[in-house]
Amino acid sequence: MGTPPGDAVNGAEIPGLGRRVTGLVISGPAGSPRGRSVTPLGGRVAEDLLYLGFQGRFLEASVRNLAGSGLLDTGLSDFGIDVRTTVIARAMRCGQDGRGDLCHPGLRSPGPALAFGATPLEVLRHLARKGTTPASARTGGWSWTDVRRGVMGWGGARGGMMTQVLAGAALAFKQRGEDRAALVFETRATLQAGGWHEGMNLAGAVRAPLIVVVEDGLPSDSSEETDVEAVAASYGVAFERVAEDAHERVFRMVASARRRAVSGEGPTVIVLVPLAEEDSWALHDDFAARVVARGDVTQSVLDDIESAAATAVDHASGRLNKEPGPSARDALAPVLTDAVPVVPWTRRDPPSPAPPPSTQRAVDAD
Amino acid sequence: MPTEAPPHVNRTRAGEAATFLEAISEALWEEMERDERVFLMGEDIGAYGGAFKVTRGFLDRFGPSRVIDTPISEGGFTGAAAGAAHMGLRPVVEMQFMDFVSPAYDVLTNYIATSLYRGAGPIPLVVRGPVGGGNRGGPFHSQNVEMAFFHTPGLKIVYPSNPRDAKGLLKSSIRDDDPVIFEEHKGLYRAPHCREVLPPDDYVIPLGRARTALEGEHLTIVTYGLMVHRSLDAAAELARDGIRVEIIDLRTLLPLDEEAVAVSLRKTGKLLIVHEDTRTGGIAGEIAIRMNERAFEWLDGPILRVTAIDSPVPFSGELEDYFLPSVQDVVTAARYLVEY
Repeated sequence: MGTPPGDAVNGAEIPGLGRRVTGLVISGPAGSPRGRSVTPLGGRVAEDLLYLGFQGRFLEASVRNLAGSGLLDTGLSDFGIDVRTTVIARAMRCGQDGRGDLCHPGLRSPGPALAFGATPLEVLRHLARKGTTPASARTGGWSWTDVRRGVMGWGGARGGMMTQVLAGAALAFKQRGEDRAALVFETRATLQAGGWHEGMNLAGAVRAPLIVVVEDGLPSDSSEETDVEAVAASYGVAFERVAEDAHERVFRMVASARRRAVSGEGPTVIVLVPLAEEDSWALHDDFAARVVARGDVTQSVLDDIESAAATAVDHASGRLNKEPGPSARDALAPVLTDAVPVVPWTRRDPPSPAPPPSTQRAVDAD
Repeated sequence: MPTEAPPHVNRTRAGEAATFLEAISEALWEEMERDERVFLMGEDIGAYGGAFKVTRGFLDRFGPSRVIDTPISEGGFTGAAAGAAHMGLRPVVEMQFMDFVSPAYDVLTNYIATSLYRGAGPIPLVVRGPVGGGNRGGPFHSQNVEMAFFHTPGLKIVYPSNPRDAKGLLKSSIRDDDPVIFEEHKGLYRAPHCREVLPPDDYVIPLGRARTALEGEHLTIVTYGLMVHRSLDAAAELARDGIRVEIIDLRTLLPLDEEAVAVSLRKTGKLLIVHEDTRTGGIAGEIAIRMNERAFEWLDGPILRVTAIDSPVPFSGELEDYFLPSVQDVVTAARYLVEY
């Protein structure tokens, strides 16, 4: 089993990041019992998963520290990432050119956004409502969106709306015969919303290439237990469950669901069984231990991957304060494609006292 | 698969006059032939041809991937249309009756209207369908929905009054990169007096531009949709007394062509706003305050409005006639203003 995170911490304090995990010590020949029988993934995939996992882990720590120091909302002080969401997203076909799969990362975790190409700095910029994110901080919330990279809103839209939207995007893929699929993370509570069922009903009816991950155990899940498998069956779609599974199994299961989806077999609903935070990261340590024990990745390479992930997050954390905030021009950006922003006449530069009626018309007319 | 267009989408090519409804059908058909990204979603629009038969024959010509019969779930399929638009398609969503757009209010206002601003790119889609009273449809099949969306930045709202405008504005709406709410008054769909021979070319009418439906000098009436015809009837009656009314047909409510209104108001000095929608929170209030800001010194009387009564649309014919603005209501208000 990989060394527990607490034992592995030997790094120095880093601004924003806190104590950093370095020099992961691998013990035992083949990782944890739950990982012994898994089939290895390709080297590139394994390295990506290692990097994304470390990046998410450091980002989690960084967000918490920044929240604790007041640089981010204090509500983010318990910010958490479930590493399995990252693995699920990485099993899709991510692209940078608007031709890859789509992902709605959901409420909790930026992990899927990272898997689809978001950088830690972009994530932090967004959380800090800075002015240089793709959404230009204009909504200041959780709507981080970059269609070219396939990141379709982090959160913000409620009641299953993103299942509707992603179902429609998947329908477009199917109409055009493209090898593309859509992935959406929802909470179990969302399954109480009619909007989710409308989206799911449509996706099932048209066999849209859609994968819906239902994250269980989130704060909004205090409603009555939902039998997700029965719900999936009611729409005639496949169902899978992810619990304390090895990364390899999760990756292959999602990749298989994706293959089914793009071949016309329709959507899959995956329920993500909640884990304690330490168990989530233990899965990542197990994975790291296995790939090193198998010789897929050397300890030296693993160290390099971890170090690179830490550097990226460290850079992002350090840079965050230097990022500019949104400008007034940004705030007044058109909400229509062909509209010119109108500055209120009372805020034009240079400021002037309220003009008399005879000049009011001239001011308004410009 | 038949290749020839059915008669109701071929009036203009045959040199015949088209009804308002046929103009809508022609616009949809021609846009789908012109651009393979354009597709239709809605309840019963395929096999059944739509509640008003706007899309009759479309399924045979364009197939089920471009004429999609949806479940009864306006929110769901409008959200799906947004996703398809994100991916480069140009969906046209039909509401059987625009009264049923309310389940899609969430996705239209929270997601679609904010998309461009949020950095998610524009969502070029059209939500179209029949509106308006006078057909004894009662409160669930007779409403005007424009003001439910007028307050939402990021949307455009179109409400034509005649076949020529309907076709040109719908084509513009489909080609526009912003989401458009497109309202079609049922009372105009098959109205004989509305039939007209349409231009044979692939014409469009730009969004956001009003037109002068009637030139005059004593009073400006600003209106749209079916109320343009009520106002024209009123103007004809007033003309017998030498009152020459200028009628501005807004055509697009959002963005609002306030310049056209201001120009006319500066000319006549009197402004009457007529809409079929209910009174409180109607567009008349917005137009009045804009003219107060822009053209106060040219006003020679109060700005008045003729609207429906603040009530659900009645089911009883007698009550509905009382509820809706009449020609006589417009005449009365106009006379009061002219004599002010």
